[in-house]
Amino acid sequence: MATLDLTSITKDFGAHKVLSGIDLAIRDREFVVFVGPSGCGKSTLLRIIAGLEAATSGRILIDGQDVSDAAPVDRGISMVFQSYALYPHLSIFENIAFPLRVARLPEAEVKAKVARAAEILQLTEKLSLKPGQLSGGQRQRVAIGRSIVRNPKVFLFDEPLSNLDAALRGEMRVELSALQRDLDATMVYVTHDQVEAMTMAHRIVVLNKGRIEQFGTPMELYHHPATRFVATFIGQPNMNLIPATVTGTGAEGVTVAFHGGAQMTLPVDPGTTRAGDRVEVGLRPENLTLGQGLAMRLRVLERLGGTAIAYGMMGDGLKLCAALPGDTAVHEGEEVGLTFAPADAHVFDAQGRVLRRRQAPALAA
Amino acid sequence: MMDRYTLLQKIGIYFGIAVFLTFILLPFFEMFMTSLKPLNHILRAPYQFWSDDFSFDAYTRMWERVPLLGRYIWNSIFIATTVTIIAMIVIVPAAYAYARLDFPFKTQSLGLFLSVNMFAGAVLLIPLYKLMRTLGLLNTYWAMIIPGVAFLIPTGIWLLRGYLEKIPKEMEEAAYMDGASRLYTLRRVILPLAGPGLVVVATTVFITAYAQQYLFAVTFNSNGNLHPLPVGLLQFIGYQNVEWNMMMAAALTGITPVLLVFLFLQRYLVAGLTAGAVKE
Ligand SMILES: Nc1ncnc2c1ncn2[C@@H]1O[C@H](COP(=O)(O)OP(=O)(O)OP(=O)(O)O)[C@@H](O)[C@H]1O
Ligand SMILES: [Mg+2]
Repeated sequence: MATLDLTSITKDFGAHKVLSGIDLAIRDREFVVFVGPSGCGKSTLLRIIAGLEAATSGRILIDGQDVSDAAPVDRGISMVFQSYALYPHLSIFENIAFPLRVARLPEAEVKAKVARAAEILQLTEKLSLKPGQLSGGQRQRVAIGRSIVRNPKVFLFDEPLSNLDAALRGEMRVELSALQRDLDATMVYVTHDQVEAMTMAHRIVVLNKGRIEQFGTPMELYHHPATRFVATFIGQPNMNLIPATVTGTGAEGVTVAFHGGAQMTLPVDPGTTRAGDRVEVGLRPENLTLGQGLAMRLRVLERLGGTAIAYGMMGDGLKLCAALPGDTAVHEGEEVGLTFAPADAHVFDAQGRVLRRRQAPALAA
Repeated sequence: MMDRYTLLQKIGIYFGIAVFLTFILLPFFEMFMTSLKPLNHILRAPYQFWSDDFSFDAYTRMWERVPLLGRYIWNSIFIATTVTIIAMIVIVPAAYAYARLDFPFKTQSLGLFLSVNMFAGAVLLIPLYKLMRTLGLLNTYWAMIIPGVAFLIPTGIWLLRGYLEKIPKEMEEAAYMDGASRLYTLRRVILPLAGPGLVVVATTVFITAYAQQYLFAVTFNSNGNLHPLPVGLLQFIGYQNVEWNMMMAAALTGITPVLLVFLFLQRYLVAGLTAGAVKE
């Protein structure tokens, strides 16, 4: 039960500006994921929320209360670290009980709370073991157990699954989502894995170079990326970007000419773009189909079963990727034609800002 | 574990170990042999390794020859133990501060501490003597304990800091997130994890304290009851002859209790010396 508001948070490490002007309003019981490339400041922002790092400027409010100068426990925040940070010399019971011991709770209460956490996380049989005797997934659950026993208002996770193998990661993803629902908690989760971001988040914060590029639901980011950066960061395989020149703007949208000469009118708001401006047309691989249009020399074909990912090059050396139906009859080395519906195209201006799409799917709330 | 060495390599390794051990243990063995021989056999020329007259005679007679011998052994252990305890009480928080906290002149101050160790204790004896006299500590246990502690703190900090730095910072951060104070974290998380490191440092401190007490005792103490064993051993040097066999017997008896403790701690020592050598 908590809202979390950040207002103009900045952080400098000496002369190095790591975060600049972060404003964020996270709702009660929301699952928010921070994504972004390595070094963009995700962990730093999380640590500032946690109280492990002091912001250079800006305020942090939890439930409307300014906690910028409060210690982590007083903020009602708990955190799960990437390395689990379990205490190897203590039993699983004592690991989970650690925050309760610090708070000097009576023994009976400690036992009851640890037992409840262990039950939720299926660790009841392991309570007498040491962390070294558990598997990676179980250790992760112990770390989560330690964070839930004292009923914090906000949970923070810093890449909690990155040390697990792919299968276990998938499993834990589901468990974490379920846990978030059961605990009715506000969660902030850092990852650089966009699958985790897309599947678990209610809303995603895309960070780039210490700034928020966009904050929205997964489908908003997918259908309405605000910038070229978000567009290429969200979606797998990555969005194709094809340079083009604006030849005209009108009520229909923006007409662009590709370098091959082909012209197309795309239903987006022109904004301030004028004829002659250089733009980039963003096309998601899954929106490309076989047909007359862009000619691509197919270099590698990855058949995944349901889909076949085709990687190739256009005449001018531009790389292109298309997700085709699994049994499409094309072969490596072949010349294939690809086409797309104008409504599926994204257009970015020279500054990387999107021109708003008119016919994109309605936003899921 | 895979057998990574060929037979030839193994022979080489064991040969190397044997040479090394011989070098280190031979003096002890020679001490032991000497302690068993009658005095006239020891001084025989040419030197004879084997004697036909071995006995544990010296081990009983030494107590009569130097009546306070038991007291000296006790003093030695008492002084070294007290030095170790006091030094560790200072070293642990200091090493933690150097490992984890940020404060002005951190590297400079540690360097300054260590540079004290560049001076041999002997260089500082006269100023220390004056200091002890002013404080009225001459001829007390403190005259041997305080300088002992002072000389050991820098090395101790240096050694322990290395161990503390290897403990992942996230563990402390996790404890901090859960509301634990620095001292609580130190007690419940850091020190238990630094266990082997603590044993290594305490051992080093103890051995050095045991070895260095001679100098301080000779200079700062003239109370015969307070002397440690190394000074006590001098009493086996008589006007006419030196009772080598008894001296060796007394020295061996003196170090036996210490040796036993170290045998017991060996398990921690090995763990401590190799801790962090491999990624876990
Ligand atoms: N204590 C520090 N002192 C100086 N610079 C730091 C410190 N901590 C982080 N940085 C810098 O801040 C930037 C952001 O770091 P941060 O750890 O927040 O990145 P991240 O987004 O979490 O990356 P990753 O995905 O690799 O974990 C990096 O350039 C890093 O070098
Ligand atoms: Mg990080």
